[in-house]
Amino acid sequence: MTDALLSVKASPQAIKLDPRTKLFLMFVISTIMISGSIEGEAAYVRLVLMCVPFVLLLTVKRLKEALLYVFFCIVAWFGEAFLVYSTTGILNILIVMLSGLILRFIPIVVLGYYLVSSTHVGEFVAAMERMRVSQKLIIPMSVMFRFFPTVAEESRAIGDAMRMRGLGNKGFFSNPVTLLEYRLVPLMVSIVKIGDELSAAALTRGLGGPGKRTNIFRIGFGPWDVVLLTLVTAAAAVYLLA
Amino acid sequence: MEKKMNVKDLINIGLFTAIYVIVTFAFGMTGYIPIFMVLLPFLISFGAGIPFMLFLTKVKKFGMVSIMGALLTLVMFGTGHGWPVLVIGLITSLLSDLILSSGKYRSRAKTVAGFCVFNGWVIGNMLPLYIMRDSYFESLRSGYGDEYAAILMSLLSLWMVPVLIVLLIAGGILGAMLGRKVLKKHFERAGIA
Amino acid sequence: MIELRKVCFTYGKGEQKSGLRDINLKIHKGELVLLCGESGCGKTTLTRCINGLIPHYYEGSLTGTVCINGKEISRMPIHETARVVGSVFQNPRSQFFNVDTTSELAFGCENMGFPEEEINMRMAEAVADFTIHNLMDRNIFKLSGGEKQKLACASVSATGPDILVLDEPSSNLDSKAVEDLRRALKTWKKKGKTIIIAEHRLYYLRDLVDRTILLENGAIIKEFTSREIVTLQQKQTEQLGLRPFHLPSSTKVVPLEPERDETLDLTGFTYSYRGATPAVAVDSLQIPKGSISAMIGLNGAGKSTFARCFCGLEERFKGIVKDNNGLWRNKDRLRRCYMVMQDANHQLFTESVLDEVLLSMKKPDTAAAENVLLDLDLLPLKDLHPMALSGGQKQRVAVAGAVASDKEVVFFDEPTSGLDLKHMQYTSTVIRKLQEKGKTIFIITHDYEFILRTCRRVLHFDSGKIIGNYPLDEEGTARLLEFFLIKSREET
Repeated sequence: MTDALLSVKASPQAIKLDPRTKLFLMFVISTIMISGSIEGEAAYVRLVLMCVPFVLLLTVKRLKEALLYVFFCIVAWFGEAFLVYSTTGILNILIVMLSGLILRFIPIVVLGYYLVSSTHVGEFVAAMERMRVSQKLIIPMSVMFRFFPTVAEESRAIGDAMRMRGLGNKGFFSNPVTLLEYRLVPLMVSIVKIGDELSAAALTRGLGGPGKRTNIFRIGFGPWDVVLLTLVTAAAAVYLLA
Repeated sequence: MEKKMNVKDLINIGLFTAIYVIVTFAFGMTGYIPIFMVLLPFLISFGAGIPFMLFLTKVKKFGMVSIMGALLTLVMFGTGHGWPVLVIGLITSLLSDLILSSGKYRSRAKTVAGFCVFNGWVIGNMLPLYIMRDSYFESLRSGYGDEYAAILMSLLSLWMVPVLIVLLIAGGILGAMLGRKVLKKHFERAGIA
Repeated sequence: MIELRKVCFTYGKGEQKSGLRDINLKIHKGELVLLCGESGCGKTTLTRCINGLIPHYYEGSLTGTVCINGKEISRMPIHETARVVGSVFQNPRSQFFNVDTTSELAFGCENMGFPEEEINMRMAEAVADFTIHNLMDRNIFKLSGGEKQKLACASVSATGPDILVLDEPSSNLDSKAVEDLRRALKTWKKKGKTIIIAEHRLYYLRDLVDRTILLENGAIIKEFTSREIVTLQQKQTEQLGLRPFHLPSSTKVVPLEPERDETLDLTGFTYSYRGATPAVAVDSLQIPKGSISAMIGLNGAGKSTFARCFCGLEERFKGIVKDNNGLWRNKDRLRRCYMVMQDANHQLFTESVLDEVLLSMKKPDTAAAENVLLDLDLLPLKDLHPMALSGGQKQRVAVAGAVASDKEVVFFDEPTSGLDLKHMQYTSTVIRKLQEKGKTIFIITHDYEFILRTCRRVLHFDSGKIIGNYPLDEEGTARLLEFFLIKSREET
């Protein structure tokens, strides 16, 4: 996952949502999922919201993941609603723990997966610019996305070198600190060096000038954004009033 | 010293944030093993010591840690760790920036303290477990009886929060010390600090 | 017009590059000027004075004036200079800012705030000029070095600067990518752009340069016209410390030790990443022990994968390596093989050069370690931090690690990329010394002159297969030259 945190290719999508919509969905759904109970009206709200990640997964053509998600949700819901009352002891504790965790966190994690895999880095930056976020945050953010794969690449090369010199993971438990040092020191050195060169290159390409930047990525709210925003807002309202 | 952030500073902030996030995720993977879950705050703050201490030598301007914190929590939020981390993360990183800048990003005691405070965002990541716990057990108790709820409560009980904080600080102090040591031993001599 | 008057520059602390001394230079519109000279002669520094990185990014003391069309660079903010001067750098990996190619192409234009329609137009033009249709909307991290460099040229071109400054752009490129770079330069020249290029590898520039400027210790010591360049013989360029303008058809090679009769027998060298077509597919191969083989071929031909499989770095790899004494398993090979990586930063772990060697030894022995260092001219550096050394020195420290660990097979991954003549020759000497110790050596390289000087045989990779396995006798040399010149010949 650290290879590229956001997508870098325009992936095929049936419904294209604005990144701002995705962030709003994330905010509402994570809040309700974490704190909501499964009784009363709140249960229906949860049920509706749990369907959202499922539908979104389908729009990015992740059928397998979507079915897996539904499977886990049903099992966990079943567990929490019935098994809890018919088991005892350790088994009971396990079921309560697991189904509770799954029901509350899987939808958010899946939504996170959707957000990350369906959003182009450029779109995300454009959304931030549209929300008038400062360049002081946007520039480091772009750099961060750019460096995830770089760090992974460098780290892999260093890992190879360690294995070739017999500094592999075998000694981890005898000397974890030295191993951490071996891994991080060359990594830091080469990343800092790449950063310095990148800074120079970016300056020669006009980054940091005083004028307003253009962004070639078009974002904006479409009908589906409206549908989802309405749905989620309504769900939040019901939840708050219930 | 120039106060305004220039392009190089912003790029440095971005790349060190990337490293910090990757260290966090790398150690976060171990969180799937239940015992490590408790150790997570310790591991993360220990492992991030080396990059963080190097980071502090690179920018030295107020806002550097706040921007890092903002990005970090945004990533956590975006990958489904819930909203509490947004709030906690912004507060701890701003506090950390204040502490660090009062020591000009150089004072030894203050870099250690600033680092520990910054790592406080991890609490934000774990908070959902506790928030969930209340509503969850309320409903459980009503339908099910106090006995089991009590056992479960103890697993996620509130006394764990101070334990987590202590672990976080311990990891932070050790990590910062290791970071400072590596800074002297490697980065300064290699000419990159 | 670019005009440098009495320019002197000394870097502040922390930068190892050498400065400039009293540079006076006029470059006219539409000229292509080549800056050459040994490493540390100041050619990179000179390019930085023109694109504004000096004094706006690299700190130091600058005197004299650098003017572009009458405007002084040091008084202009660097984002203003960026509109007039475009820059391409040495390392393809560190000069792109985005993760995807399309954003990268638009990046400069976006920064300058051009309207969207204009950006789209400029992008389309750059795509056409540099024929990079196939690179659009892709992950930059999945591109080869040559493709990245091509994209870098196109991206710089999109903002439409009148002046282009290139700092050793061919260092990390294979022969096909060098040819692409040559075409890019030609495109710019046709459009009347002024081009300043600092370079070690000269042969591809032969019929493009208008003026060649030779620097030494930060000062200009000689100028050549384009006609003079063509007539320069290899002996003369060598005396000037330069790589040749013509790829020589033969070089006097110091005779190598005769190879031993024992061989390493390889069978079933097939490996693919994640189900894709095999990155390498070599059925069987025999390599004499104690030989130095050059591995040539374009990027993506399978050279690196072959090396990684041989070294035991790919755990799923099932191929077999045997010698007279038996089988070398994956784990054995990890123990007996060593790769000197292109970026030596990745393989240096300790706090001093001496420790680095000791770390490699099964039983740390300071006296023996110092001997190894002495042999590689590293003894005076033994207490320094490895990361504080120059690129060539780091590489030698990595070699010292291999010697100390008593590895039998050593792979070099592009050991001479970006090296000047002197350092290339020195690397060659080091590698031959290693061979004298009985090591079997493989070198992945795109450096023709270096191969002639160092290797005895050639393994030519293409699409995962070895399509040529020949000794470097007279016939072999001709074959090798053919590979390196194939593209330019197609054109003429």
